[in-house]
Amino acid sequence: MEITGSLSVLGAGFAFGVGAIGPAIGIGMIGAKTIESMARQPEMAGRLQTTMFIALALAEAIALFGFVLAFVLMGQ
Amino acid sequence: MDKIGEGVEHLLHELSVLSINGHEVPSSGFVLTNYGFFLIIASLVTLAFFLLGARRVKLRPDSRYGSLVEAGVEFVRDNLIGDIMGKAGQKYLTFVGTVFFFVLFNNLIGLIPGSKPGTGTMGTTVTWALVVFVTYHAIGIKKHGFFGYLKHYWPKGVWAPLAAFVALLEIISDFIRPLTLSVRLFANMYAGHIMLGIFSIFAALMFEASGVMKVVAILPIALQVALYALELFVAVIQAYIFAVLTAVYINGALGSH
Repeated sequence: MEITGSLSVLGAGFAFGVGAIGPAIGIGMIGAKTIESMARQPEMAGRLQTTMFIALALAEAIALFGFVLAFVLMGQ
Repeated sequence: MDKIGEGVEHLLHELSVLSINGHEVPSSGFVLTNYGFFLIIASLVTLAFFLLGARRVKLRPDSRYGSLVEAGVEFVRDNLIGDIMGKAGQKYLTFVGTVFFFVLFNNLIGLIPGSKPGTGTMGTTVTWALVVFVTYHAIGIKKHGFFGYLKHYWPKGVWAPLAAFVALLEIISDFIRPLTLSVRLFANMYAGHIMLGIFSIFAALMFEASGVMKVVAILPIALQVALYALELFVAVIQAYIFAVLTAVYINGALGSH
């Protein structure tokens, strides 16, 4: 099999793939802990949800930097 | 495999910023772009949504539409402002509400086949993030005065060199905020549309192929429906997150914590 294309495409794949590992773990932990807290204190569910979305957004942004970087590398 | 590559290339070209009639954007001069067109439409929809709702304001809305607008505004008031800023934040209902509904309508309009989300380019999202950035600093400066506002970066009762280091970190993270705010919204919209597009390409290519592949094409089509539902969810969540973070930043500038 012949390998074509430039290394920057490989880098783009890694930028997104590896960059998504950390945020994925983080988002999973945020979700798990929120559900745990909601089950323990259902009356707090509304406020917990708001806080969860803020934390989710912060974790997600890191993954999306990888995504944008991937596109930058693809254009090289 | 070549066909997939061709399809993806076509898709990326389709999603790039072009003028409204499909040509490349010239490097100078004013031109209406495809994203700009839908941005204007979203602005008009947002305007119409509230103007129609404000036409007949009653304590108890008697039409379905009136109830819808009221439910939307109440959602912003209670869930976005109430949970984060409490009573003191009600002053900023108009700003946070405008941000929320404008981003929401942009995202939703982008999901209509053939249209594009106004928030699908960096231009729009960076502009909005900068509007939020300037606004919350202006609110903070208005409340505390210029030097009083600068002082809130400086932690109290900490060894001075450490405090300087913390203040530096705070200021840097403050300037990263518009970047994360804009990149998050843009990348979510852009990535979602690329994903929908790629599954359409799969479905189309499988359908063109012969024999059993025509039947297997059911799979990407079914996935496409599920992904579309996911994208609807993402469109609402991203508008929510954008507005929540706006409220959080304003709250931080007010310094009530």
